[in-house]
Amino acid sequence: MSRTQTLGEILQARGVSRRGFMKYCATTASLLALPPSMVPRIAHALEHARRPSVIWLSFQECTGCTESLTRSASPTLEGLIFDSISLDYHHTLQAASGDAAEAARHAAMEENMGNYLVLVDGSVPLGNPGFSTIAGISNYDMLVETVGGAAAVVAIGSCAAFGGIPGADPNPTGAAAIQDLVTDKPVVNVPGCPPIPMVITAVLTQFLTFGQLPELDKHGRPVAFFGQTIHDRCYRRPFYEQGLFAETFDDEGARKGWCLYKLGCKGPITYNACATMKWNQGTSFPIESGHPCLGCSEPDFWDKGGFYNPVSTASLGGGAALAGAAAAGVALGAAAAALSRRRQARTIKEG
Amino acid sequence: MDLLEFARGPALQLSIYVLLAGSIWRVLGIALLQSKPDYSEPRQAGGLGGALKVIWSRAFTAPAFKKATMYSKTLGYTLHIGLFVTIFFFVPHILFFKGIFGVSWPGLPNSAIFFVGVITVGVALALLIRRMTHPVLRLISNFDDYFSWFVTILPVATGLIIPIRFGVRYETLLAIHILSVALLLVWLPFSKLAHTFLIFMSRGTTGAILVRRGAKT
Amino acid sequence: MSTSKVGYDDTYDLQSKRLSIKKPDVRYDKQGEMTDDERVHKAMVHFAKDFGTTAAAYLDSCIHCGMCADACHYYVATGDPKYTPIWKLEPFKQAYKREASPFAFFYRLFGLKKKVTVEELEEWQHLLYDSCTVCGRCSLICPMGIDVASLVSTARHGMFKAGLVPHELHAVAERAEIDGSPLGVTKTVFADRLEWMEDEHEVDINIDKEQADILVVMSSIEIQKYPDSMAATAKILNAAGEDWTFRTDGFEATNFGMLSGNLDWQRDMSMRVINAAVKIGAKLVLLPECGHAYMALRWMGGNMYGKPLPFKVQHVSEYLADALNSGKIKVRKVDKSVTFHDPCQVSRRGGATRAPREIFKHLGVELRELPNGGDYNWCCGGGGGVVTIHRADELRYKVFKLKMEQVEATEAEALYSSCANCRQTFDDCQSHYKWDYTAESLLELVADSLQEDAA
Repeated sequence: MSRTQTLGEILQARGVSRRGFMKYCATTASLLALPPSMVPRIAHALEHARRPSVIWLSFQECTGCTESLTRSASPTLEGLIFDSISLDYHHTLQAASGDAAEAARHAAMEENMGNYLVLVDGSVPLGNPGFSTIAGISNYDMLVETVGGAAAVVAIGSCAAFGGIPGADPNPTGAAAIQDLVTDKPVVNVPGCPPIPMVITAVLTQFLTFGQLPELDKHGRPVAFFGQTIHDRCYRRPFYEQGLFAETFDDEGARKGWCLYKLGCKGPITYNACATMKWNQGTSFPIESGHPCLGCSEPDFWDKGGFYNPVSTASLGGGAALAGAAAAGVALGAAAAALSRRRQARTIKEG
Repeated sequence: MDLLEFARGPALQLSIYVLLAGSIWRVLGIALLQSKPDYSEPRQAGGLGGALKVIWSRAFTAPAFKKATMYSKTLGYTLHIGLFVTIFFFVPHILFFKGIFGVSWPGLPNSAIFFVGVITVGVALALLIRRMTHPVLRLISNFDDYFSWFVTILPVATGLIIPIRFGVRYETLLAIHILSVALLLVWLPFSKLAHTFLIFMSRGTTGAILVRRGAKT
Repeated sequence: MSTSKVGYDDTYDLQSKRLSIKKPDVRYDKQGEMTDDERVHKAMVHFAKDFGTTAAAYLDSCIHCGMCADACHYYVATGDPKYTPIWKLEPFKQAYKREASPFAFFYRLFGLKKKVTVEELEEWQHLLYDSCTVCGRCSLICPMGIDVASLVSTARHGMFKAGLVPHELHAVAERAEIDGSPLGVTKTVFADRLEWMEDEHEVDINIDKEQADILVVMSSIEIQKYPDSMAATAKILNAAGEDWTFRTDGFEATNFGMLSGNLDWQRDMSMRVINAAVKIGAKLVLLPECGHAYMALRWMGGNMYGKPLPFKVQHVSEYLADALNSGKIKVRKVDKSVTFHDPCQVSRRGGATRAPREIFKHLGVELRELPNGGDYNWCCGGGGGVVTIHRADELRYKVFKLKMEQVEATEAEALYSSCANCRQTFDDCQSHYKWDYTAESLLELVADSLQEDAA
């Protein structure tokens, strides 16, 4: 595919109807909470967009984020959009390997200096550069080198956004999030384990249309998709309010689709669009399938007290600590009584 | 560590240790003081049986005192029952206890809990007004009385605000709620709120002594 | 020796903000030549003696609910919040918290509980003595089960040693300690009056037998004011065929050591009776119609003695109930409607509530119980030493209105009681109010109704 072809030309060549294309633009506008008047502008921008260069760096990751994006039963518009961006470097999808792959990355960087997007999945190990290397280059070095000329960086998935599973306690590799390492470029976090594919494409579309990144929350996540909790949009919420809960995975409550709070659902404290956008083109999402939300778009969700412990449980440091507190009480009480008795005796003797 | 993790983790943990240590401290500090034997001839057995009798019976108002104490006792019981229901029959709380003690029990729907919570706060306000306006209570009340009121109602109030939200993030409201509980637990053993366990000592002492005499309890 | 300021103003400032001890108006008597510091020190020493686990369990558990006020005749009759029972104990409670409570060390360290001052002790004299008869209603109402009344008795120990007792009460207590009777009844006076009763009533009265099963004691109030009680007692015991005696070396049932708060004197006074009983090998000490005498000997006698008493102790009403139930004595039926005023120390505090009812059953009277009578009875207002304190008379008359209401509600023909101090209080108030009722003696009623031909 020619790098000089516009997105509009490519879509046309692929047989995407004008109507289908406009529908996509309208959906995207809606997802980004933009008014309908924006739709023509999105359409114009995408149509005439030169395929921007995108370099995808993969570090300590499981490739799940790529799988989420590319796994589809039939070609989707998201997939098409992705094809239509010049994805100049991606371990899983690229044809080249070895020196040729690195050469392609450098060429893309030089040709698009200051304009390319860097997408990152996986965390960066700071413990030892040898923990994760590509072509003999440590993740950290490759990251620093590549973002040097980037327009913006998008951290895809919870590993890149927050450290993810490699960063979970005890974090043996010293895994770090991208936002902690890249401080001089705009960083957008699109967390999730994996993230919803359409969220990624919407972020890219926003960038293509307006040349800027969407409004972000305090964790650097697009507010449009990470501004509501799962709990506040979950279709099982009425069951929560009525006090109808599944107690086990195959009891009556589970079969009737009752709330999964007791089974550890982290919905109340998880911000993501799963409950509304769902997965696989709106097929379902974990709760609908009967499994409690893991809270995978939140920082350190692996260390938040256990997937099957309800949100309202607390960790109390175990029996030993409680016994210690009790022993302290005994000691203080006995000491207080002894002190009082001695003081009384002394007062009486003096009197 | 964000506020919620701090509240649910170290803050709550520490407050539970302080509650445990402080309560035992207070009980032993009283129980280990000198006690004198009673050489009088008992009319009947006192002791533990007498203690248990008064622990139970003093919960009920004698007819002679019903009229005079009706208002404050009704408010007081409603407050305590309201606290009991909101603490022990709200499902997220039940799960909290399950995490600690391993036992759970059925809960009430959230709307019922909310209703009881609102009543509890209303009754608490009525009691506060009484304490501030009744001549006897104004005379004998001190800092402990007012602060204990505040520390007891804060968890209920903050718990009610969580579903109402007022535009504040859920995690923030939850963190404040849990911190208010931690404050309550820390304050309890050192204040009048310790009547939670002292009531057994004071009623029990009276029962042991007075039932032995056959005196009225 | 003792000084007193008579007359006081009851106004009380409730408007200003307070988060600390409030002080009622100054009103105090003092004994001895101690400096203020010495008085405080003495009070603290003798408070400290009593800060054991019982007092601590009580003083640490008060939740300031204020319900004790609703049970107290002083608060109910006057509406003055300073008469709230637990408020009467405020300096005692503060001293406990500062000196002996579980957190005492930290209270002292951070200055959270102030030291009791002599001004506070002086001001609290009125609350601890004039306005508390230790009747125990507060102890019944307290939701925490605190025996508030007993704490007042305890707090008086410190007050006495600090020389802060109302001067009439101190005077009668001192007289009782030195002379053996609060009203100056010496052995001679006692014997004389017994002789008089013997003649007057033609009844055999045993005095100073060497051995006897029953030692009978009397209160000075009866000896001086209601001597017929002595004859009535003799008549009944003779009819019952008992082996009994009075002893001139141990006859005083009252215990003003206990009432004024002097533990040493309390012991002395109890020991006189105990020694006399031991000397004659008594199996039973029969207490007269006196309230606090029952508390002093029946429930505290063993602790004064340091070991269980080697004899039984009964209030005369208990003895009469037993004697009637067993048929030892018989009474004629009395056809009238009566009501009964339970002495606080015998019924509510002492546990002998049932006895008078059994007696009335045998007498066949129509017993109309007082509304809120029996164990919940309103105090006559004269117990606990209060009747001796003349500056407290106005207050005593005020609270007596509750009694009058209560008795009048029954519309009974007669009112009975079995405590001479209650009787004395009723007589005094009857005269003050020109009331239709006064309290008559249950013992004398039984004696008058005795069927002496019953074998």
